[in-house]
Amino acid sequence: MAWTHSQTPPVKGHLPVLLPLRSMPQGLPLQDRLFNVWTASILVLALAAALITPAFAQDATPGRSAFAILLEWTPTLAKGFGFNVLISILSMAIGTVLGVGLGILQVSPLRPVRQVAWVITQFFRNSPWLVLLFYCILLIPFQIEVFGTKIPFPGWVKAVIGLSLPVMAYMSEYMRGAILSIPTGQWESAESLGFSRGQTLREIILPQTIKRVLPSWMNLYAVLTMATPLVSIVGVNDVMALTRAALSAEGRVDLLIPMYLYILCWFFLYCYPISALTRWLERKYSVKL
Amino acid sequence: MKHAWKTVIASAAIVAFGTTAQADQLQEIKDEGKIVVGVKQDYKPWGYLTSDGELAGLEIDLARDVAERLGVEVELVPVVASNRMEFLSQGRIDLIIATMGDNPKRREVVGMIEPNYYAGGTNVLAPKAVGLKEWEDLRGKDVCALQGSYYNKRVTQLYGPNLVAFAGIPEVTSALKNGSCIGFLYDNTWIESQLASDEQWAEFEMPFPTEDPQAWSIAVPLEELDAPYGKLMSEIVTDWHKSGFLIERNEANGIAPSPFLQEQHDALQ
Repeated sequence: MAWTHSQTPPVKGHLPVLLPLRSMPQGLPLQDRLFNVWTASILVLALAAALITPAFAQDATPGRSAFAILLEWTPTLAKGFGFNVLISILSMAIGTVLGVGLGILQVSPLRPVRQVAWVITQFFRNSPWLVLLFYCILLIPFQIEVFGTKIPFPGWVKAVIGLSLPVMAYMSEYMRGAILSIPTGQWESAESLGFSRGQTLREIILPQTIKRVLPSWMNLYAVLTMATPLVSIVGVNDVMALTRAALSAEGRVDLLIPMYLYILCWFFLYCYPISALTRWLERKYSVKL
Repeated sequence: MKHAWKTVIASAAIVAFGTTAQADQLQEIKDEGKIVVGVKQDYKPWGYLTSDGELAGLEIDLARDVAERLGVEVELVPVVASNRMEFLSQGRIDLIIATMGDNPKRREVVGMIEPNYYAGGTNVLAPKAVGLKEWEDLRGKDVCALQGSYYNKRVTQLYGPNLVAFAGIPEVTSALKNGSCIGFLYDNTWIESQLASDEQWAEFEMPFPTEDPQAWSIAVPLEELDAPYGKLMSEIVTDWHKSGFLIERNEANGIAPSPFLQEQHDALQ
């Protein structure tokens, strides 16, 4: 033999092999380096300072500064904002549950079921949110009597229902897309292993759709949260309605812009982390070839 | 989904049936121990929010007084012009005390309690520098107004101003101060109390004689107007005028003295 102990032993890695391509930890794309949480918050802070400072300075005569007024109203406005968050979470929860169901029905093997699910999805997905809200506020009675007990339906509950309808429709489309994006080979292999359709769906397909749906789902949540001020139009006492009330109680013209900006900052601070996380998840789950 | 709609329709039917079956709202309010009153929260000083989140103002005082007379608790629900009558007919609230003008069209929808508890007219808040003298001066000028105010139509037809309508008072006052319009077409009672109480209006005036007096009414559901509930409300409003309670509360809330209230008070003596 050519190789003996005295000769060079075959060292691991000695032979020229094709190493797996090591993906370099790439830097963020340019737009993410420019528009990240730090630049955004600096911008917002600068804007706020620019707007509040002059109001602060010129206000030596009428008494309290705009800043002091904002601070004074903060607890009340915070309660209103909490209400917006509550409405968004509840609508998201209801909409998601209904939407997943509807999405599964959209890929049902039964044609009529598929069609009905498709019609419902398209109807709610293509209706303006505000119109759906109006319908819910006006059509749902303020209380329902079931077997003698009265179940009250306050405005905000109706608003939750109204906002969950479009969420349901979007979710249904996301689910349909996610289910169809899973290679058909998986269905076939599952079938060959004796899984029923329900089992395949529950144990093989649905778990895989989660990561595909997650980024869109979170995006939808951020959009929904930013849409919640719509409920103030239909008479729910949310942060927008309270802001208007605060503005009219103070009766100060110079407060208008700082006050709305203040509310905008709250929404931004709440929604930005969600969209940032979404982008991170999207990158993480993006298709690797 | 189908099932959900069935439930909604069925429950709507139950509620509709339920409301026709209930005979006496007054008794119901007393049984529940609570009256739900729709009030404004953006119409200082009639109804507004204080910074600790409590409602205050003349109409809130009135709502509390109604509850006290009935011996029940009061629950205040903030309403706006566009939803107050729906809330009342749906049963969400029992009573409207929300700067609501009394007119024949609204009388078809809700039960307006007589006598009227307040009255306002139409006027304009304008910078003194503009130098408005009479209503005709408005023709062709940009005038700010509030969306959905009943007098917008009348003034446009009579004097032809170019109305710029906003959603809320803060937006209007901001536009007025920026010079986007030469005046703010609004209720004279509001203008008077602003001019009297707030020094930011020092350079402003109310240049015209007040026109088109409009009485405000509290309202109950239409079918309750001639029932004991409506009658009791009517008695309460009469007593507010007679006892001078309205005049006293008007002053306590810093509103300019109202000739209407004085008139009603004197008439009942």
